[in-house]
Amino acid sequence: MTRIRGTLLLAAGLALAAVVTTPAHHSGAMFDETRTVTFEGVIREMQWTNPHSWLLVDVRGDDGTVTTWGFEAEGPSTLRRAGIRPSDLRAGAEITITGRPMKDGRTAALWVEAVLADGRKLDPRKGFEVR
Amino acid sequence: MTARTMAPLAAIALLAVAAGCAGGDARPASDRQRMIELGRQHPTAAALFEALREQASGGQPLQWGALPDWSGVYTRARGGITYDPDQAPGQPPTARLTPEFEARLAERIRLADQGIEWDPISTCAPPGHPRWLTEPFLREFIVTPDQTWLINEMVNDIRRVYTDGRGHVPEEDRLPLYNGDSVGFWDGDRLIVHTNQLREGIYQRRNPDYTDQVETVEIWQKTDDGLLEVDVWVYDPPALVEPWYTRQSYAKLSDPDLRIRYWHCGENQNNSVFQTDDGATQFQDFTFTEADDANQGDER
Repeated sequence: MTRIRGTLLLAAGLALAAVVTTPAHHSGAMFDETRTVTFEGVIREMQWTNPHSWLLVDVRGDDGTVTTWGFEAEGPSTLRRAGIRPSDLRAGAEITITGRPMKDGRTAALWVEAVLADGRKLDPRKGFEVR
Repeated sequence: MTARTMAPLAAIALLAVAAGCAGGDARPASDRQRMIELGRQHPTAAALFEALREQASGGQPLQWGALPDWSGVYTRARGGITYDPDQAPGQPPTARLTPEFEARLAERIRLADQGIEWDPISTCAPPGHPRWLTEPFLREFIVTPDQTWLINEMVNDIRRVYTDGRGHVPEEDRLPLYNGDSVGFWDGDRLIVHTNQLREGIYQRRNPDYTDQVETVEIWQKTDDGLLEVDVWVYDPPALVEPWYTRQSYAKLSDPDLRIRYWHCGENQNNSVFQTDDGATQFQDFTFTEADDANQGDER
């Protein structure tokens, strides 16, 4: 971990009703569909794996401690269909990411949307669009 | 309905099939109804398959120089992860279920509404057919004169359809298989397939179960340059009061750089889930950091 800067921006009862968030490999019931969390952080690692990829983000809290959050998304080919490429998610890059958190309080979430430092938005679910 | 009145209806329905009935979700409701009737008029999948083969005069072998062009990378065009693409949102599946399987489905949906849901593919099992038709990942369809390979990216899943005239394996060699045993024939540019020897499974989450008596008949056809459509009849007497007809479709994707890669379902510990005592799905311990890994090592 070379550089860490992160802040919890939001943890509220926001429902992004238009976003379908059911993982295609396992039930998504462990994620809280009624809430989203948004963090600014630094990419620790992107795991390009099937059936799901995981984006690990280091988030610095107000007290200075760093927590690693994992954001679950679909596999590499679906992410490519969403326009998300390996060059977008290099370790050390700053990112703002929103997800639906685990109900049990662990530091993992279903990735809903991310915004890169250049302002580009990454939505994994767009990978299921037919085009 | 008597056998005498069924015969003309069957002939009409077979003609409709012979005409191809292209159009996907834009088809008139009467087309779908004709297909439903066709299933009803044949007591088994084998009987429907043989009727279609008779209608096609046995079918015509493909030649290497004149294969249908099914090239490209596709994905499911309609339906999301619901088995019947024509199931209305929030409505029950269109299958006519036996009371036992109706009750099973109601219980599955009731529990899922409470967050208690377990998908049998969660631990990397293949979906199996007919669920195979529904998975929302990449597809390829490889046509040769003697076999057609229907490929689903997910867990490197291939259905082989033998079109060289062979029948199903002998009774004494049969056992339940994820994708069953598929034989077929070509009628012009349409591939007609009969599949038996399947394992029990679910059509999808919030969808019904099927048993190991399930069999299917499919008619595959490329209806325009970018669309493969499939008429599917599922027969499963313990679960279905009558054959369940659906039309599935797969759209060719425009990205020329899409490629199907090897799918190793178990490569990432962070995807490992288990079924809790109450039947729900939960992640195992995550390994986001070296400390997580070390802790898991201690526990082991």
